Amino acid sequence: MTEPILRVDGVVKAFGGLHAVNDVSFEVGKGMIVGLIGPNGAGKTTIFNVISGYYAPTRGRVFFKGSDISGLPPYALAKMGIGRTFQVVKPFPGLSVLENVMVASLCRHPRKHDARRHAWDILEFTGLGPRAHDAAASLTLPGRKRLEISKALALEPQLLLLDEVVAGLNPTEADRTIELILKLRDQGISILIVEHIMRVIMNISDQVVVLNFGQQIALGKPVEVVKDPVVIEAYLGEEAA
Amino acid sequence: MLLLPQALVDGLLIGGIYITIAIGFSLAYGVMHIIDFAVGEWIMLGAFLGLYLSQWTQVEPLLLLPVVFVVFAVLGYLFQPVIHRVLSGKKGNPLLMALVFTFGLAIAFKGLGLTVFGFFSRSIPSAMAADSFTFVRGDFFVTIPVIRLIGLAYAIAVTLALSWILKRTDFGLAVQALAQNKEAAGLMGISAKRTNSWVYGIYVGISAMSGVLIGCMFSISAQMGGKYTVFSFFVVVLAGMGFLAGVPWAAFLLGMVQSFFLIYFDPGYTLLAVFIILYAVLLISPKGLFGKGV
Amino acid sequence: MRRGIFAFWLFIGLMAVVPAFVQNAFVLRIVTELFMWIGLAITWDVMAGYAGYLNFGHGAFFGAGAYTTAILMMRCGWTFAATLPVAGLLAGLAALLAGIPTLRLKGAYFAIATWALALAIQQLALVLDITGGPDGMRLPPFLHPVFFFYVMLAVAAVTFLLLWLLLERASFGLKLKAIREDEAGAMALGLNPARIKIQAFVLSAVPAGVLGGIYAFWITFIDPASVLADIITDQAMVMAVFGGLGTLLGPVIGAIVVFSFKTLFWAYLADYQVLYLIILGVVIALTVVFLPNGIWGTLTGQIQARNALIKGMAIDPAQGRHPEQGADSND
Repeated sequence: MTEPILRVDGVVKAFGGLHAVNDVSFEVGKGMIVGLIGPNGAGKTTIFNVISGYYAPTRGRVFFKGSDISGLPPYALAKMGIGRTFQVVKPFPGLSVLENVMVASLCRHPRKHDARRHAWDILEFTGLGPRAHDAAASLTLPGRKRLEISKALALEPQLLLLDEVVAGLNPTEADRTIELILKLRDQGISILIVEHIMRVIMNISDQVVVLNFGQQIALGKPVEVVKDPVVIEAYLGEEAA
Repeated sequence: MLLLPQALVDGLLIGGIYITIAIGFSLAYGVMHIIDFAVGEWIMLGAFLGLYLSQWTQVEPLLLLPVVFVVFAVLGYLFQPVIHRVLSGKKGNPLLMALVFTFGLAIAFKGLGLTVFGFFSRSIPSAMAADSFTFVRGDFFVTIPVIRLIGLAYAIAVTLALSWILKRTDFGLAVQALAQNKEAAGLMGISAKRTNSWVYGIYVGISAMSGVLIGCMFSISAQMGGKYTVFSFFVVVLAGMGFLAGVPWAAFLLGMVQSFFLIYFDPGYTLLAVFIILYAVLLISPKGLFGKGV
Repeated sequence: MRRGIFAFWLFIGLMAVVPAFVQNAFVLRIVTELFMWIGLAITWDVMAGYAGYLNFGHGAFFGAGAYTTAILMMRCGWTFAATLPVAGLLAGLAALLAGIPTLRLKGAYFAIATWALALAIQQLALVLDITGGPDGMRLPPFLHPVFFFYVMLAVAAVTFLLLWLLLERASFGLKLKAIREDEAGAMALGLNPARIKIQAFVLSAVPAGVLGGIYAFWITFIDPASVLADIITDQAMVMAVFGGLGTLLGPVIGAIVVFSFKTLFWAYLADYQVLYLIILGVVIALTVVFLPNGIWGTLTGQIQARNALIKGMAIDPAQGRHPEQGADSND
């Protein structure tokens, strides 16, 4: 395999004396889906925030297509081709659904007219087209999660960071979202996904990284990871699925 | 050089007053997240109430402080629901709207003050205003007006009382819980509405009382509000917004700046210096001198 | 949108012929000043309505512009026209310097800092020699009301057009609104909030400076108590808030209503000048409580709601597939 899209190399993130993430290393190859799992408070969102530029790593480095991006601000990374969603969804409530996506589209299509057309295409793809003119605040949770993905996609990213986009959806909606994620993978977008629901991660991931209390306790194919006694112990009582 | 002790003492004494015009404001911000542009106007209105009350009753104005406090605390308590309504509005950005609201309030109060009290400057006659202590040692000398000493004592008393209330009473615990986490406080059965009303009442009451003291030391006028709003803002921003423990230090710093400019430079440059310090602090340590603002 | 452009040029055209029919100096003067207030109100709204930052020192940019023109004309012998770009640039520079530390912080700090800045600039004008201190400055009288009418109209119209192009037509307004709604979220979409906010702040300051420059030459006397008074910001703010934040037309309508009221008030009730302050303050406070979207926002909101209702009944949502696709702009 050539240079991966994303390489996380010994990343440490400390808040005060507390290590939220300690020495985490993994790679996301082109066109791969890598799952990031772990119990609550394992540091999944923290590592997302480090990769997407919201936190600078205390130690270690993050490489995107071979170049060091540690400590770059989020907007620079968005321009380079890293799109992310937020676990706590962040729509612009006062803007319409279409305008929400247009803001992201402007990244690659600086003219408003082009951005509008691009945003329509994205909404069409993610199935939010009929809601385009509604205020983002009027969307229900599944709609908001879909809007999160739409906005990240509108950046035309090469790497997509998805933070709990399935959690909280009913089974039908969850399946639709999973279908969408696989479609994106088939288009060549590399995906790093955080998810609570094991079933989802195990079915779609090529690789799985397991975190526990900020430590990386396992890395490998889903079938191998589920058999790992360390992982089983970390999840004992935590996850029955 | 000979005036240095005087400058330091003056700075300390003036600083005391600035504690009292900023501490209630900082508390209100910490709990309700409201920036009250009318803080200087509450001070102005309190000062005039003190003036008229003392003229009418012929009672020493300093003895009227509790009366002024109660009147304005009640006013603030009754007024808070309106602010609460703005802050919990769904449309636009409620915090911004609240800012605009208090700004409008400040303008209206100022107009009211000008209408009722006129354009002239007054001062509140206190029996304590004339006396002063003078200390001489060698070439150095320091004069301390009694009224200013009382002002400092008042400031310390208010600060201690407030910190006692916040740390030792159930009400204080409720206030702190509310400042830290609105939802959790709500779950614990704390009524945000009621507590906020008390906080706002206390803040308005303290500010109005401080106005009376200011009136005994300096002159008061219907236009004085803006200046004290600036000073109040300065202290609170320097202390870190909502960080009460920082208030006394920032207040003393402002007092020192003012007394040094009065004695050594041109007092006309005081506000400029204040702004430059504010600017520098925002640039270097945006969350106040102690980095603990919210 | 075509209709909007047409309305704009129609309004400008109508205004442009006013001096041909109205010789009354008082009326000309009132309308000239109205143009100035429209300019101040729409520029104030760039920060407040679009970016979500309240600038309590907008009047300082106006005053800085007024003093720039006065100083360059009186102390350096420049011609009036040459001073205006400098007045605008200087106001923009002041915005840049004031914005860098404060726009990184929450809105509260910005509000306080801009207010303090305005007071500091007023103090500066009071103590400096070059500004004439409290005595102010007198400019050579140039008694051509029609000239000032057209200059003020031109600057206000250009400002409106510029803001419309940038905020409504181009993407800048959308970016600002995104930042207003959620700064952290906007960063993930490739927006650099610090830079965009500074750009907006400078954009709002420059026209204010130019308007100040014109005002100085028009009124021929300026002092810190007039061109640097709080009331300038206060009034621009009432106009914008009352008219409707976050729109361009709202502040224009607000300016027309509030300024007409002020003119009538001062014409008939000049003895009760301070009452005006009370009314101004109460209007702001009541607008915030009862009409948070302003007159224009409330009106258009209702129209939009009604249109949506009609549309919803007329078009089957299943086949009502994005009618706007390919349309140039529907803002």
